Amino acid sequence: MTDSARSHIFAKLRQVSRGAPTTTLERELQAMGRAPGAALPCPDLCAAFLTNVLRNQGSVDCTGNRSETVKVVGQYLYEHYHSHRLVAGNDPRLAAMPWRDAGVLPRFGSVEPGEPVALSFARLAVAETGSIITWTGKANPAANNLLAEHHIVLVDSADLVANTEQAWDRINQDMDKSGRPRGINFIAGPSSTADIEGQLVYGAHGPHSWHVILMGDVPETALQEARSIAGL
Amino acid sequence: MKQTSETFLENASEALKDAGKAQRRDLLALFTPMVRDAAINNFENFQTLRQHVKKVRQHSLDNLDHYLAQFEQEAVRNGNRVHFARDGDELNSIVLDICQQHSARRIAKGKSMVTEETGLNDFLQRANLDVMETDLGEYIIQQAGETPSHIVGPALHKSAAEIRELFLDKHDLGPRELAETADLVAEARGVLREHFLKAEVGIIGANALIAENGYTMLVTNEGNGDLCANLPRVLIVCTTMDRVLPRAEDASAMLRLLVRSATGQPQTCYTSYYSGPRREQDTDGPLETHIVLLDNKRSDVLASDYHEMLQCIRCGACLNHCPIYASVGGHAYGWVYPGPMGSILTPLLTSLEQSAALPNACTSCGRCAEVCPADIPLPDLLRDLRHQEATENLSSTPWRRGMKMHAWLARHPRLYHALTAIGIPLLHRLGRKRGRFSRLPMADGWTSQRDFPAPQRKTFMQLYKARNKASRRRADDR
Repeated sequence: MTDSARSHIFAKLRQVSRGAPTTTLERELQAMGRAPGAALPCPDLCAAFLTNVLRNQGSVDCTGNRSETVKVVGQYLYEHYHSHRLVAGNDPRLAAMPWRDAGVLPRFGSVEPGEPVALSFARLAVAETGSIITWTGKANPAANNLLAEHHIVLVDSADLVANTEQAWDRINQDMDKSGRPRGINFIAGPSSTADIEGQLVYGAHGPHSWHVILMGDVPETALQEARSIAGL
Repeated sequence: MKQTSETFLENASEALKDAGKAQRRDLLALFTPMVRDAAINNFENFQTLRQHVKKVRQHSLDNLDHYLAQFEQEAVRNGNRVHFARDGDELNSIVLDICQQHSARRIAKGKSMVTEETGLNDFLQRANLDVMETDLGEYIIQQAGETPSHIVGPALHKSAAEIRELFLDKHDLGPRELAETADLVAEARGVLREHFLKAEVGIIGANALIAENGYTMLVTNEGNGDLCANLPRVLIVCTTMDRVLPRAEDASAMLRLLVRSATGQPQTCYTSYYSGPRREQDTDGPLETHIVLLDNKRSDVLASDYHEMLQCIRCGACLNHCPIYASVGGHAYGWVYPGPMGSILTPLLTSLEQSAALPNACTSCGRCAEVCPADIPLPDLLRDLRHQEATENLSSTPWRRGMKMHAWLARHPRLYHALTAIGIPLLHRLGRKRGRFSRLPMADGWTSQRDFPAPQRKTFMQLYKARNKASRRRADDR
């Protein structure tokens, strides 16, 4: 059925197609240039990203190095869940963190039903949309983005780009090197729904809360600037 | 689904009887344009973006055979099985075959208007499969045995109180309050989570297909589509071939328009690109993935004068801004797609004969075209459908005769002006006392709902001529 359907559909499409050669199509696409993106809320990339994460109903922290990061994660876990446990993917960057220094007890693997906190290390992050990007795979099983009640995401400031076009440039380069992942996930906030009377509720199917920690070379004023722009 | 577009007027009258629902529609018609406008105003280059995406999509549609073949090739390379379906029946059969090959019993389904179009749920349920909609809005209407009233918020016609009653009735979870909306969401989350974990097959739609790398793009706020795409061992993506875009960055550009126009957000919570089954090193994800590409007359639309309709990105902005949709709601349109876009798509994808009332459900106010992020000339296409309705003799004989007479008169302006110069003063004299008519011959369609204002003594053309004459005289005097 599907082979004859395929032939039938393509025959109809060819009747209305321009039949232009690939080189012409590529040239035409190039000539269209790139789409305009949204203006960043401020010139500093880190502050702009943090602002948009806050606007997406995420919470944020900034750290200068790995020791500070584990400390911040430990504090966040204790403050919110009175626990030091979390689940993280088999990402070498996460495995190399000094978790013990902050008393954090990570389990490396996929989130199982009932486990409340998952930790991911973003592959990239986009300032324009306040989103983080993960690839499915051993380093970050998709369940870790979706099944936990709380999702904590680490972002290295070196992996922060201004807009989605730049993100795709990086993703395409990475895919040329290491192949196409099964899934590429852009996440911009906790799971939400407004399906009942238009009222916004968080934690529809995925995490109720989404905490982003921007680490590395982050200007000292970035967090304060972001909070001020986001009106917090 | 059973189509009732033919009885649009009766459906609309029925919808108007429920004052509570009408009030909720009024509120949504105020609220949804507000959030959309705020998002568009914050985005400084909306018109440039709109024109850019329009050009890219037109380029994709003009060369659809090329980009569809490229998408198919890349998707197969990624490990998918790609299927083609000429119509809804073929899509339904393909999906059922896949489910049966895997002896699947439980299906977790993400929101997909395409599968609403084909009636997939009913088809699979008739084969004894347990199909559960997982988008909260779709889940609510599935439990209520209803159809979507809006392409983005399918259950917005229902009140929280109705949903509470529905959940108390359908979920065997003992006595509970469910006083807050958050309680309702939490209950649905719990019920659906169990289904997600047990489902053998996940079915999702796609907001875009990317030709350069064979990925499908899925946009949600709830994350339910992603659970469907990641937890069951088989994934089926059901979509239509006109979703193809050349590059991933084109999908991102289109998304900028889509989210702002649909919900007023700068970005949806989950924007996911899926390429195929799990890789060798992966610890999760489906073992087998299928992509079913539906035509269902879209190739005919592409070859027709209505081809611009294929640029529609399903944001729902035209619904939110349409005074007719706001008054009567989505169910009155009697099929899957309501509002202005539905009034064009329904005749094109079903038949004009069955749905001729829909292109007439338009005040030609033009708001839909103003807000359409794909820049589709919706009022023009609706007018063309009305023209087609007349030329194919689908409207009633008195109506056609009246239209013909009006057209003939409009082509003879002198006679038109002469007749109105008699009729208008007469109406003026008759209605002078009350200033309005509560009854008029041949105009009961108007006067049954509201009074017809009595015209002023002179016609527009008489006033216009007098004014021109006066200004000429003044110029001569100077």
